[in-house]
Amino acid sequence: MKTRILLPVAGVVLLAVAGCRTSMNSIENTQKTGQRQMISDSRVITDGSLARKVSFVGVNESTTPGGFLKIQIEVFNRKHSLQRFSYQFEWFDANGMQINNIVSPTVGDQIEGGESKFISAVAPTTACKDFRVKFIED
Amino acid sequence: MKKTILLSILAAALPFVVGGCASAHYIQTGGRESVVTVGSINIQDYIQAANSATSDLLASGVLDKVSNPPAVIAISRIVNNTGEQIDTDLLTKKIRVALLNSGKAQTTTTMGLGGTSEDPMAKGLQQEAEFKADQQTTRTPDFTLSGKIIQLTAKAGSTSQSTFSFQLSLTDAKSGLAVWEGEKEITKQGTQSAVGF
Repeated sequence: MKTRILLPVAGVVLLAVAGCRTSMNSIENTQKTGQRQMISDSRVITDGSLARKVSFVGVNESTTPGGFLKIQIEVFNRKHSLQRFSYQFEWFDANGMQINNIVSPTVGDQIEGGESKFISAVAPTTACKDFRVKFIED
Repeated sequence: MKKTILLSILAAALPFVVGGCASAHYIQTGGRESVVTVGSINIQDYIQAANSATSDLLASGVLDKVSNPPAVIAISRIVNNTGEQIDTDLLTKKIRVALLNSGKAQTTTTMGLGGTSEDPMAKGLQQEAEFKADQQTTRTPDFTLSGKIIQLTAKAGSTSQSTFSFQLSLTDAKSGLAVWEGEKEITKQGTQSAVGF
């Protein structure tokens, strides 16, 4: 009797949980025309929980026509469910001094399960030569 | 007896404990601890919108195409189509500071919408200098910056959602053509208790 009641209930619960976990499929061209200028990066991981969920794939940079450094970071959601995080860019000049940027926001973002997405930013001045991006789990 | 004394002490101490825990503190402006309200624009939204507009504008290279750099920009009308009274300077000032710091553009404070100037004293001094020199020293703006802030609301059950659309246009002052357009949409969602309206 109890099994007859519990089994359907368990089935409904499992279905509900499975419905909340959706991951992303994607398709793209194999022969890429655009070549990303990847750069070597240095990573400091203090939040293993976030690193296990949302990992860094790579960083590439370019320079805009106006001479501003543009950075693009690819992140990947290793889980099958949506993850939320915040990030903030910091910029440094040729002497390693941080350049205060009035419009450097902490951006809240989200990434679907299995999704790979790009986060990019343009330096506030042409004096910016280096950068750092901080990520934190929401 | 003991219980009565203990309860009395606890009752007397409670206001001090609660009062001591309730204290104000500083947080990073626009940071993660900032309050998020669904029905109104928060400071972090202005910062995000200004950052998006500035980055797009600088990356486009439009400001480099003037004959006499840095480009001069005059701030035109920024229309508020939201449900609250806002000061659009919260957006435009951030853009102006960022553009000035970039070295690519300067904003005129003596030329404004309807002939008004942001800095009347500077305008007066400028006119005086022109009178003495007997020639125009005012540099005509290369571009004007105009825009609109729109609010879209939606509700489903107890969930409310607001989308704030920050639309900006940079117009060539000579041709009247928009040489750059940008739009940043910020969407916030919350349950009824978190809604600000």
